[in-house]
Amino acid sequence: MKRGFALYLAFLVFLTCFLGWYLTRPKVLTVGMFAGSNWNVPEGEPYALMEAAIKRFEAEHPGVKVKYVSGIRKEDYSEWLAERLLNGDEPDVFVVPGTDFALYASMGALASLERSMNMDTDFDPSVFYPMALDYGRWQGDSYALPVGAVPTLMFVNKTLLAKEGIAIPRNDWSWQDFLRICKAVTRDTDGDGRLDQFGVYDYNWRKAALTNDVDLFSDDGKNANFTTQNMEEVMRFMAALHAVNQGQEVTAKDFDMGKVAFRPFTFAEYRTYKPYPWRIKKYSSFEWDCIKLPAGPSGHNSSIMQVMIMGISARTSEPRLSWELLKTICYDPAIQESLLTMTQGVPARRDVVESPRAQALFTAATPGSEEMNLQIVSQVMDDSITEPKFSRYQEAMNLADHKLQHMVQEGLSIGSALNQVQKEINSYLQQ
Amino acid sequence: MMGSYTPEQRRLEWLYGLLGLYNGLVVLLMAGFMCLTQQKIVSTMSAHEFLSTLPIVPLPAMKGFWLSMGAYALLLFLGKLYRHGGLESGQRQLIFAAEIGICMLLMKSLNLAYDGIVLLAVADLMHRYHGENQSWLLLVAMLGLYFMANYNMAIFQRHVAPFDVYAAYYRPEVQSVLLAIKNAFQSLNIVLFVLYLVLLVQSQHHEKERIASLNKQLEEANVRLRAYALEAERTAETRERNRLAREIHDTLGHTLTGIAAGLDACIVLVDAAPAVVKKQLEKIRETARHGIVDVRRSVKKLRPDDLEKLPLQQAIKKVIAEFSASSGVEIQLVELGWPEKLREDEEEVIYRIVQEGITNARRHGKATKVTVTCGLEPGRFYIIIADNGEGCAETKQGFGLRHMEERLELLHGRLRYWSDKGFTLEATIPMGKNVMDNHGEDKE
Repeated sequence: MKRGFALYLAFLVFLTCFLGWYLTRPKVLTVGMFAGSNWNVPEGEPYALMEAAIKRFEAEHPGVKVKYVSGIRKEDYSEWLAERLLNGDEPDVFVVPGTDFALYASMGALASLERSMNMDTDFDPSVFYPMALDYGRWQGDSYALPVGAVPTLMFVNKTLLAKEGIAIPRNDWSWQDFLRICKAVTRDTDGDGRLDQFGVYDYNWRKAALTNDVDLFSDDGKNANFTTQNMEEVMRFMAALHAVNQGQEVTAKDFDMGKVAFRPFTFAEYRTYKPYPWRIKKYSSFEWDCIKLPAGPSGHNSSIMQVMIMGISARTSEPRLSWELLKTICYDPAIQESLLTMTQGVPARRDVVESPRAQALFTAATPGSEEMNLQIVSQVMDDSITEPKFSRYQEAMNLADHKLQHMVQEGLSIGSALNQVQKEINSYLQQ
Repeated sequence: MMGSYTPEQRRLEWLYGLLGLYNGLVVLLMAGFMCLTQQKIVSTMSAHEFLSTLPIVPLPAMKGFWLSMGAYALLLFLGKLYRHGGLESGQRQLIFAAEIGICMLLMKSLNLAYDGIVLLAVADLMHRYHGENQSWLLLVAMLGLYFMANYNMAIFQRHVAPFDVYAAYYRPEVQSVLLAIKNAFQSLNIVLFVLYLVLLVQSQHHEKERIASLNKQLEEANVRLRAYALEAERTAETRERNRLAREIHDTLGHTLTGIAAGLDACIVLVDAAPAVVKKQLEKIRETARHGIVDVRRSVKKLRPDDLEKLPLQQAIKKVIAEFSASSGVEIQLVELGWPEKLREDEEEVIYRIVQEGITNARRHGKATKVTVTCGLEPGRFYIIIADNGEGCAETKQGFGLRHMEERLELLHGRLRYWSDKGFTLEATIPMGKNVMDNHGEDKE
């Protein structure tokens, strides 16, 4: 009787201790991210933004520690994340590579954010750029939130155009204007019989297609549709643009020497190359600026946007804290603002981008870009398009690149060639 | 009886054990293979490629392995519990349901690569049912299980990492070997299962035959027993008759012979010596008295044993209880009243009537319920024995009834009987002053 009571008491004490420990134990969240920029430009301190966010989060949530594994390169990140998922020790909150997003959302590795987004009263999804938010959606549900984004803009060599007596095109310019200017500037300036001044470098059919409203793939990435009127327009335009150079290849060196009028650039590249010391090193010989991409006959001046998204593991033991952490990284205005100073990207929140403070910070962080107005960037972001994000998108596009490149150079009949490409891509996608 | 196994049952148990062991081995190998492959995939940096061919994120390698092993252990335990006797049918059904649930969990944790464990559950089910509708029930249950298994396949198909994807990690030659091994596992399991079924059906068939032969033996023994009982009755009757004859010879014969011889002497002497005759007659009277005493003693010896030892009421209760216990007839004794004092001969008659009455109810009426009522009315004591047996339309006055009547007449009593719903017998014995006086005189 006495022993039974003692045992019971011991059990109670043990239970209390265990509960006490369980409730007050330090909670640890892990974040998964890679070293380096999401937008393939050199960045000084890859973890600065994350550390700022973690610091802020830990201050707001005493007793919670946030850790991350450093030193994973961007090119290794996808495999690293897959290994963590397979081992069951994936981070609670992690950066989702765009090409893996659909895969992980469909296989249930990512937690749906719909519930948290609806339940959280101080969360308003409408502050994000719609396309950026949409990038984290799969089959109508949000599985990831955008951290930042970069639009692709058209770089204009102001010096060259001024020399040729051509005005800088307006933001609503078309393919016709583009082609006309390219034809006008492409010539042999030193008289050696070789073209040495060109219209455009690095403009490819993908960008043309996006600005002509071509919808190449079905949403699930199982079907390709290359045989549309819009796509034929793209191919015809590309052929015309290609013909301007008379078969001569434009190189990056030509561009660096100030011999090329246009080059599409991401905002991150712009920010990296524009300021000192890159500017001195690379493009000291000319003045340059950015405008929107030219619009095709069936499309408009949209820009291509690359979005960096982060999601929560479906197997996290702390879903509520993970959501709070994700919110701190993606939604906290202070952290979003830091994106402008600590990385080369643009915040995913429109209100942050459009605030005067942000403009001041941006101008201070990017010397020599006084004429770059964040309001314009914001406009561009608003009607930009994101690339499809099914898992085999990159491979399919590379395949299409290869085939179409061939087609443009060979001068095959556009209709039948597109048909052939479509067949091959479809058979690849349906494997 | 449950403890002793026939060799067939032992073989069945052994085969079931083998089935369990074999399935355990397969589960171990399958889970081990998947666990090792998954670890290899991670260590050779092909995790992304592997994941992109899967519809779900598989469980971490070790976790999946232990889940499979744990689920299998639980399945075996439930199977053991299910096969173990001494469970109510509700509990058993609950256990079986749990077994099916674990089965599904196990199949899912093995990524549906091996469905042989369903057969293990079927084997358990087969083991338990022995009823008449066994075959139908089993057919339905097996169809249900297979339907469930396939349904689960269909539902889970998009929610598991298929075995083929694991196999695809290896070189094509190895892949085909792996698939062959997997199929061999399935086939061997089916072979074992069918063997088990055959043995089970065989053993049940033999069991039935054994029971039938035992029944036949029992029947024969019964017939022999009945003949023996008849013979024993006859023997007892003969012995009783002999005893009576001896008794009469020893007592009455002896006395009467003595009296006759004495009287002969008296006839010779009566004229010559009347005084001697007188003396002689006194001797004869003495002999006659001795004779009477002897006869009484003999009669006493014929009285039933119970009545000798117990008072009438208890003797009657005892005979009723014994008869009821031995024959299975439900006998109710209703005591409305007993006379205060009864003579020995009255007691015997009452006892005999009850004994004879309930025996007749069982023997001739095939009754299952008998009510014996005894009570007092002014001037008489009555016994009514009513049964629910066949009765008889035209009462043949058998020996028993006549005998009863004769006994009652000696006491100036009366016997009535009729049959409507069963057979009813009423015996009345007069009680009261006149009768008592009468008897009193007799006794003097």
